[in-house]
Amino acid sequence: MTATTTARRDPAVAPRVAPPRAPAPLMGRVLRAAGAQGFLLLLAVAALAPIAWALVSAFKPAAEIVSDPLGLDVTTLTVENYRRMFADVPIGQGFLNTAVVLVAKGSLTLFCAPLAAYAFAKYRFAGRELLFGTVLITLMLPTIVLIIPLLLEMKALGWVNTYQALILPGAVDAFAIFWMRQVIAAVPDELIDAARVDGCGELGIFTRIVLPVIRPAMAGLAVLTVMNIYNDFVWPVVAASSERMATLQVVLSTLAQNITGNRIGADYATVTGELLAAASVALVPLLILFIALQKHFINGILAGSVKG
Amino acid sequence: MSSFVLGAPPSRGRVLTRPRLPRRVAPYLFVAPFVALFCAFGVYPMLFTLRLSFTDWRGSGAATWVGWDNYAYLLGNEMFWGSLANSGVMWLLVVPAQMVLALLVAVLLNSARIRMRSFYRIAFLVPFVTPLVAVAQIWVVVFDRDYGAVNGLLNLVGLPDVGWLTTSEFAKPTLALLFGWKTTGFIVIILLSGLQSIDAGVYEAAAIDGASRARQLWSITVPLVRRTLMFSIVIQTLAVFQMFAEPFVVTDGGPYNSTTTAGLYLYEHITRADLGTGSANSFLLVIIVMALSLMFVRLLRTED
Repeated sequence: MTATTTARRDPAVAPRVAPPRAPAPLMGRVLRAAGAQGFLLLLAVAALAPIAWALVSAFKPAAEIVSDPLGLDVTTLTVENYRRMFADVPIGQGFLNTAVVLVAKGSLTLFCAPLAAYAFAKYRFAGRELLFGTVLITLMLPTIVLIIPLLLEMKALGWVNTYQALILPGAVDAFAIFWMRQVIAAVPDELIDAARVDGCGELGIFTRIVLPVIRPAMAGLAVLTVMNIYNDFVWPVVAASSERMATLQVVLSTLAQNITGNRIGADYATVTGELLAAASVALVPLLILFIALQKHFINGILAGSVKG
Repeated sequence: MSSFVLGAPPSRGRVLTRPRLPRRVAPYLFVAPFVALFCAFGVYPMLFTLRLSFTDWRGSGAATWVGWDNYAYLLGNEMFWGSLANSGVMWLLVVPAQMVLALLVAVLLNSARIRMRSFYRIAFLVPFVTPLVAVAQIWVVVFDRDYGAVNGLLNLVGLPDVGWLTTSEFAKPTLALLFGWKTTGFIVIILLSGLQSIDAGVYEAAAIDGASRARQLWSITVPLVRRTLMFSIVIQTLAVFQMFAEPFVVTDGGPYNSTTTAGLYLYEHITRADLGTGSANSFLLVIIVMALSLMFVRLLRTED
């Protein structure tokens, strides 16, 4: 132990101690690094393979997907699956509905959550502790609990199969408030007080001082919100599953259910081809967004993990 | 209280061209949109379900107060316990293996010698960010008994077809694989953030003391990330017991209810319009999930 320590620190001693020990750890290190690299590579392949397989197979003729799921004949590649899928499946409507919900619900979240969080972090007001306590409790409840009562509420309001039903419930979730409050609490009070002394209004302080400072967290929240809304399935399928109101994910889910009913031959192949084309179309936007904004994604996902 | 001291009238010493928002009123206005939405679509429905769980309401007509009957019915019901057992088995299939794998990957990604680190981070997170429904559909196709790519691979090496989604022995592991595939990258990222907060000096000291890599992993890394690890376990426990979309899309609970998870069973009450029982089921699930999370938190505390 002492020998190694001295060897590291004193170059004069090093040649005497190091040679007999150095080669073995070096070899071991190289091997270990190669092994680790190979292991990670294997896992990366496993993570990407199903998606890559679907993206590629969607361009194969439907019959080939079924008869030869592993092969790839580049000469027969076709967009037939896409053509048929766009003709048979109301996926355009699905995209449109998802886009409407994305814009409306996303802006609501990104407007209401930081604003309320700012009040929680930087003001004292009656009921603050009680309100924030309730937020913390909701954070711990499984989302699925609210499904039945919310559905009944939508029925009572006559909102089943409407945009309101897709947009308003869950628009300002407890998690966004919780996270933004933490972020805004870290903004120095001096900055806010200085702005106030300079005659900045209360809302102006928020929009001109607080928001610019917390921009990185806002980006994370924005990306997380987009991802959650785009991928959301449980609430949309319960509250708005009519063909006119179905979001992209709901449209997709009906395709998979067709497959279980279509076991025989050509029909199965056709449905599978359409399904893979539809899944690809649904995957790609988010994939591009993720790769383009991965830093914000990782920030958002990490912060979002508290939600549970 | 300090706001009363600090909260000087905002108009002091200035000529105002437009009315200003007084500092004492501002916070109420700021939380108002949130409070409105939160009460309308959070607090109110929650209280409503609690009441509903003590009635026999079926979505229309008058509701009769039935006391604890719904709870008693569920607690004496094989399907209810079966759904919990399915979720429990799913937990066993996914969580322990996933934690070991994720920790290993996180440790590797955190070590200085690994190349292409950002590629791996992206690759492992792709399953997590992509829409579950799309991925679940791909699962249906890939694991098909007759035409799927997985059985194609098995045939290549001379193994017979497996009914991945059509037999009750394999349906659960196949769904567990989907869940594990989708979420492990997420756990890796969480653990990685925990690892990055460990002071590198600790490892240097251990290396000087002659501790092997495996020994370092077990004696230094695991204790230091135990909090993060426990946190990940809690998240995954909540997720497994709420799992709904995976069985809904892939197996619809079959074959023979072998994949009817707690979340899917809850949904079945909705489709049968048995809302009173469904509400009671919601609350039982909340209690179970919370008890499980508290148990893990407790475990974490006592080990400290």
